[in-house]
Amino acid sequence: MRIELQNFTKRFGDTTVIEDMSLSVASGEMIALLGPSGCGKSTTLFAISGIHRIDGGTLHFGDRDVTRLPPQDRPVGVVFQNYALYPHMSVAENIGFPLRVQKLKPAEIKSRVGEMAELVQIGNLLKRKPQQLSGGQQQRVALARALVRKPDVLLLDEPLANLDAKLRLEMRSEIRRLQRETGITAILVTHDQIEAMSMCDRIALMKDGRIEQISTPAEMYERPASRYVAGFLGNPPISFVNADANGRLAFGDNALPLPSGIAAQGPVVIGLRPEHFGPQHQGPCVSGQVSFIEPQGREDLIDVTLPDGQRLRAIVPAGHDVALGQTVNWQVDLSRIHLFDAEGARL
Amino acid sequence: MNRQTLLGLGFLSPALLAVVMFFLLPVVLTVVFAFTNMSTSTGILGGEYQISESDLRRLPAAGVREEAVEMLAGADYAVRADTLALFAAEFGDKRAQELEALHGGASFDDRRAMERALKDLRRDPIRSVRERKAAAELFRISILGQRFPTEAAFVEAITALGIPEADQAALTEAAYTGWTFTTQNFELLWELPATWRYALNSALYVVLTLAFNVGFGLFLALSTFYLPTRTAQTFRAIWFLPRILPPVLYVLMWQWLTWDQGFISAILRPFGIEPINWMRHTATHAWTFIVLINGCVGASLGMILFSSSLRAIPETQLFAAQVDGANRWQQVRFVLLPQMRWPILFITSYQTLSLLTSFEYILLATDGGPGRQTEVWALAAYHTALSNYGGNLEYGLGAAYALALVIIGILLSALYLRFFNFRDLVAKPRIEQ
Ligand SMILES: Nc1ncnc2c1ncn2[C@@H]1O[C@H](COP(=O)(O)OP(=O)(O)OP(=O)(O)O)[C@@H](O)[C@H]1O
Ligand SMILES: [Mg+2]
Repeated sequence: MRIELQNFTKRFGDTTVIEDMSLSVASGEMIALLGPSGCGKSTTLFAISGIHRIDGGTLHFGDRDVTRLPPQDRPVGVVFQNYALYPHMSVAENIGFPLRVQKLKPAEIKSRVGEMAELVQIGNLLKRKPQQLSGGQQQRVALARALVRKPDVLLLDEPLANLDAKLRLEMRSEIRRLQRETGITAILVTHDQIEAMSMCDRIALMKDGRIEQISTPAEMYERPASRYVAGFLGNPPISFVNADANGRLAFGDNALPLPSGIAAQGPVVIGLRPEHFGPQHQGPCVSGQVSFIEPQGREDLIDVTLPDGQRLRAIVPAGHDVALGQTVNWQVDLSRIHLFDAEGARL
Repeated sequence: MNRQTLLGLGFLSPALLAVVMFFLLPVVLTVVFAFTNMSTSTGILGGEYQISESDLRRLPAAGVREEAVEMLAGADYAVRADTLALFAAEFGDKRAQELEALHGGASFDDRRAMERALKDLRRDPIRSVRERKAAAELFRISILGQRFPTEAAFVEAITALGIPEADQAALTEAAYTGWTFTTQNFELLWELPATWRYALNSALYVVLTLAFNVGFGLFLALSTFYLPTRTAQTFRAIWFLPRILPPVLYVLMWQWLTWDQGFISAILRPFGIEPINWMRHTATHAWTFIVLINGCVGASLGMILFSSSLRAIPETQLFAAQVDGANRWQQVRFVLLPQMRWPILFITSYQTLSLLTSFEYILLATDGGPGRQTEVWALAAYHTALSNYGGNLEYGLGAAYALALVIIGILLSALYLRFFNFRDLVAKPRIEQ
């Protein structure tokens, strides 16, 4: 089911949280709403589910205009950040609740709940109460409850935020598997870039109630539309260096040639990811002094402070003989650098 | 007993003391009083010995033989040495001598005859009627109406009257005006049809008021829950007013609303409806208003408790219910109400107990009327023991009423504790001890 959100505006009292936002999600696609805390991800999700009324714009599911439809009538399933399970109901009753309010026969509810429980692999927990479940199990129950109505759209609000690292990894692939198996259109809200990149077909990166860029994870990583996007994605994060473009990119005593096809003049910002800088690359060199070494096992993170005080970060395979305070002259993979103008837009 | 338990007891002791003083002691006293025939006429301290004219009729039932009763009743006034001595002291020796000469040894059945005898005095007649009356009284030998402070004095007096020894014990017992231990209160309660009427009234009162309190409290809590916060708060504050109003004022307002020249009558008059006292016209009217008066006070407590427990339910659960397709009624029925089991139970049990013993609003509103149709058990206890129409306050019988309430209350609490399994309702502490 295609989701088409157009010119969406949401206000709380006098504050406009989201202004004129448009988003379209293809049928069967899983898209991530990624952004820092408070940028309006949950608000968008609540608008799509119908929990919040929207103050402007339209929402279509397929060809159907659902803008004015109450949540009860929208074909959506929602997994809430805190799961919002009903504490007084058993797991089976929780999962069966959406069917129960449709007044289905108990036998049918039972069989569909069983089916759903098998799908999320909690068939043995049906009699328990939510308090007696681990975080990961609660989350599976919430998923099953969201899916049992066979909705056309699945909305997930930071579903993994409350899980520990190992479980998060497990649930990441689990949710993706479920989404693929059911072919449901899904929107995942997260502030974790890894979650967004690993689970979703496309990412919509949000900032202050706007969508900054929307594209596939690879595209967004390779060709960030702005300095903000470049800074948001990547771990360890990208390094930014202020430079002066005048036929070449000069910063301090260092200079890099302008990448081909880019015409720039005046102050620019160079974005250089740590994995594209280091002694193991081919290309023009930048020199500086090693100011920090953080061993990571397979590789080390090394900070290089340039003569003008700016700092670049490099990922260097372990087994190097670099020492703190040493002056190095390392190569830059010129084809992978990003250039932004003073306002942060990509050049 | 180690130091910790001692310390615990030490900290508890003010509470224990309060329990003893304000709960145990009244209960014990109630139990004691319930087994006595204490009343205004017996007093609450020891009594005296007295047989009055009206007592004579009940004496045979108390085991005093007829002949002894006749002795008590007959031979009221006698001109004898001892009575003449009294007369001489007040009216002079000369008159006494003359009277002895005229009527010495005579006895008279009533005062009138005695007064006539006194009129026979010629030498120095007693002219004033009043004085003659007083003089006649001096010749009175009957012990009827006379008070004897001790048993010995009474026995002496009846011996002097010639009451046979066989009747003295029964007579002495019957003459005692102080209270005694007895089980007759309970027999009386059991036998009086009015008692059953009061019990029925109490049950009706508790059930109706409770249903109103819980139902309306829930309705208020749920309806304000879906209102904007500010509106909801104002609304709740208004509903809380009856609770903070002094009961007398509050009921007075209801009286003003309902009496035959009050508000309801006044606005209905243009529609051709005869003004009546809406609160006391019939039993149905009375019950309706009693439930309303108590309910509007009681519902606010439920409303506050239910509202706060509603607000403790995370908002996202309601969001979840909405996207799960539950309409408002289904949200209330399946998500909200089940999570309010504990406060509903609490209000139900708490208010059953407090309604059983409360009567102040009924007292102020209908005082049990019309007739005795809204007289509940607790009000009957109050009327019997503390505010009797006849003026004879029957403490003992009242205490028996109250004792029945205490027993029912304790049984009900025990039942609630068992039946609703309070322990299961209270969540186990997450931190293990
Ligand atoms: N009910 C509300 N009333 C007023 N302001 C609100 C309300 N809900 C959200 N906001 C504001 O709207 C903005 C966006 O909130 P939203 O919950 O969508 O953020 P988010 O992106 O989901 O953040 P997080 O990652 O922390 O969940 C925030 O600035 C928040 O303060
Ligand atoms: Mg959020």
